[in-house]
Amino acid sequence: MAVKHIMSNDIEEATSATDKLSLIDFSAAWCAPCKMLDPVLNKVSDDLDDKISFYHLDVDESPGASSEFGIRGVPTMIVFHNGQEIERMVGFRDRNALQTQLENLADSKLV
Amino acid sequence: MDLKTGLVGSSSSGSRELDLVIAGGGPAALAAALYSARYDIEHIVLESYQPGGQAALTAVIENYPGIKTISGGDIVAAMKEQAESWGAVFEMASVISADPLKDRIQIKADSSIYMTRNLIIATGAAPAKLGVPGENKFYGRGVSYCATCDAPFFRDARVLVVGGGDSAVKEALHLSEFVSELVLVHRRDKFRAEPYLAEKLLSCGNCRVLWNTTLKEIKGDESVEGVILYTPEGEKELKLDGVFMYVGRKPATEPFANLVELNDNGTVRTPNIVHTSRENVFAAGDVTDNDLRQIVTAVSDGARAASAVFDLMQ
Repeated sequence: MAVKHIMSNDIEEATSATDKLSLIDFSAAWCAPCKMLDPVLNKVSDDLDDKISFYHLDVDESPGASSEFGIRGVPTMIVFHNGQEIERMVGFRDRNALQTQLENLADSKLV
Repeated sequence: MDLKTGLVGSSSSGSRELDLVIAGGGPAALAAALYSARYDIEHIVLESYQPGGQAALTAVIENYPGIKTISGGDIVAAMKEQAESWGAVFEMASVISADPLKDRIQIKADSSIYMTRNLIIATGAAPAKLGVPGENKFYGRGVSYCATCDAPFFRDARVLVVGGGDSAVKEALHLSEFVSELVLVHRRDKFRAEPYLAEKLLSCGNCRVLWNTTLKEIKGDESVEGVILYTPEGEKELKLDGVFMYVGRKPATEPFANLVELNDNGTVRTPNIVHTSRENVFAAGDVTDNDLRQIVTAVSDGARAASAVFDLMQ
């Protein structure tokens, strides 16, 4: 499943799921590591489709979201479960590292 | 060779057989890819951690001959496009280990195994951590290693930059365009950066330099709220919103520790430019013990390494 683009007013709905985790990638068009992360997220989202919903949010399109979530750098990925933040990852991750971390997180939170 | 996969043959174990694996994704790897493709060497480039390397995170590059000014992201994108136009083959994968196996090198990556006759290590270096209290806790909450990525989040804020080399000064100048106040601390009494950059920083209106000063601790609750510094006059506390670290780089050589000789600082030992302790393994760019670490020297290394592989195969 592809990474779905959302705006700040979509966050509440996107993160409220109880049967799956939600990951929001806060990124920006001018950020080189964000561009590097895009293909990684696309691959990982294909593999973890049954456990995690993946979203992409442009911090310039949704400036309020940065202050609401205390974003001070991009890319920042925040993982939510049942509306609560359960993990925050800052900076680029390669596919192996990201997938392992997310799988462990999903296994520990989803029974 | 299948240009999409780089697959030139398969062993019974399911590994890919190649003449050359280039590990890395920065300027050294991109130059090696361009030259290898033009030499028609059967190869694959494993773009490991951080495609584009450190160069991609540099806001402005003004010292690459022939190009007056360009962003780091744009120059590495142009290098990759040029290499691909000559048939260079890229795959996004991290090298986990590299071991000698008879006359081949076995490369284990995320999801594939490669058996290669030659290897170019161009995995670069990642920003080093200072190791002070608060550094890990506030990473992404005020602590950053990339002004190019994070400067817009510090508009009208007060920030500290740690370091005195080219990267520290260059990135401080970029940050100064966003922040209200910038304090740079350097443990020595003069910069290691290019004089041109140093003079520019010293004349920057909202910048202040504290010499012979080091960072002791980063303080805050949810995010950075201040720092404690060691100054020649004693400890001093500053209220500020962000800390940007440029205190050196850690070479990405762990997967190659069993393959080639490393120096104490982790760089690959290259006593004879790009040649390592193993005949069919070469190293290029920031991962080596070269004394100058610039894009121009990285691409030179990459070209030399590909040329050395070509010579070895004759």
